Amino acid sequence: MNPGLKLLLVMAIALEISFTQSLIVNVILIGVSFIYILFNRVTFKALIGLIFWPLFPALGLFVSQWLYGSAGIHFAWILFTRIYAYVFLGATFTLTSSITNLALTLEQDFRLPSKFAYGVLAAFNLMPKINEEVQIIKTSALMRGEALHFWSPKLYFKAILSSIQWSQNLAEAMTSHGFVEDQGRTHYRVIKITRMDWVWFIGLFGIVQVLLFFIRY
Amino acid sequence: MDNKTQPATNREHQSKWTLRNIILIALIAIFTGIIFWGAGFLYTALTVVLTPIGAAPFANDLLMGLWCMAGPLTGFVVRTFGSAFVGEFLGAAVEVFLGGQWGAGAFISGLVQGIGSELGFAFTGYKRYDWVGLNASIFTTVVVTFAWDVIKNGYNKFGIPLLLALFVTRYISTFIFGGVLTKMIVRLLDRSNAFSL
Repeated sequence: MNPGLKLLLVMAIALEISFTQSLIVNVILIGVSFIYILFNRVTFKALIGLIFWPLFPALGLFVSQWLYGSAGIHFAWILFTRIYAYVFLGATFTLTSSITNLALTLEQDFRLPSKFAYGVLAAFNLMPKINEEVQIIKTSALMRGEALHFWSPKLYFKAILSSIQWSQNLAEAMTSHGFVEDQGRTHYRVIKITRMDWVWFIGLFGIVQVLLFFIRY
Repeated sequence: MDNKTQPATNREHQSKWTLRNIILIALIAIFTGIIFWGAGFLYTALTVVLTPIGAAPFANDLLMGLWCMAGPLTGFVVRTFGSAFVGEFLGAAVEVFLGGQWGAGAFISGLVQGIGSELGFAFTGYKRYDWVGLNASIFTTVVVTFAWDVIKNGYNKFGIPLLLALFVTRYISTFIFGGVLTKMIVRLLDRSNAFSL
């Protein structure tokens, strides 16, 4: 499925189950997403992570709602499954789509200005380097006997200084590769939204509506 | 950059949506996203401690300010319509791609937090880049994100005292991280003339 449409579908469903209260639909969404993920060859480790980490917030919400909520245990279960529905819905997107394809389709099919699509893509591709830079900033501070934590203004200050410098370099590099802001572009890789994409999008979204309408428990 | 021609004391300058500024916002968002990622164990630890007494939502409210820092930061560095929203949203998107424990929920939280932090700058007409503007942004962030949690996390089923306690916790957290810490960072940037780089 087209990554842009897929993201839209996932977000629309996630938004909808935030406002509706149906335990069974939540469970169905989790189940369907789970099967979809399995078919996409997820690693065992990633799968365990998907099940294990959300347990903390889900259980936390469950217990507090159970102890102090006025709506009883059924509502507590809805909140519990809602967290898992978010996670598995999100995983159907993140485990199967690349950020590059998302940027390409957002630019070509969703009319996002190319400077946003490629600018953000360029920054996201630097993620490993950014991770490294955070370590470098922390380590070099340690060498001067200064420990930087997530509450230290200096850590953010230095991160922003790096950002300013890198953004300048990246923008110049893109310009020197022939990228011109606010100009029409031709595409080497064309991504289109096919008729099948639309069928899946409307079909799946429709099914969720029907389920939410009829299953109120 | 376009504001090289402007005086170094450009407190008043308006930024534009140039390619360079878009990359800058995305980079700052990713930096903050990764720094919080390192503090991710805090949330889990707090939740584990608070769950047995049913106070786990406090973990959420205690850390809210931390999660909402990218918005005010990008809003201050790139001073134009929408920069706080884009920064905050991208910051949340980073968490999704790093494999955070909220999945698709983080995208939506990012949208909500982005709107919250942008509204404050909008109310001051993108002119007050000082303590007043920052406090406006803090206020709208707290109100908007709290309203969202009332719906999403079932806060509306709690009694008034618990709700009030959660709200105050969230306000203090947002004030410290989104306000005081942001202010300190901006002061460092100001002193080093980074805004005119």
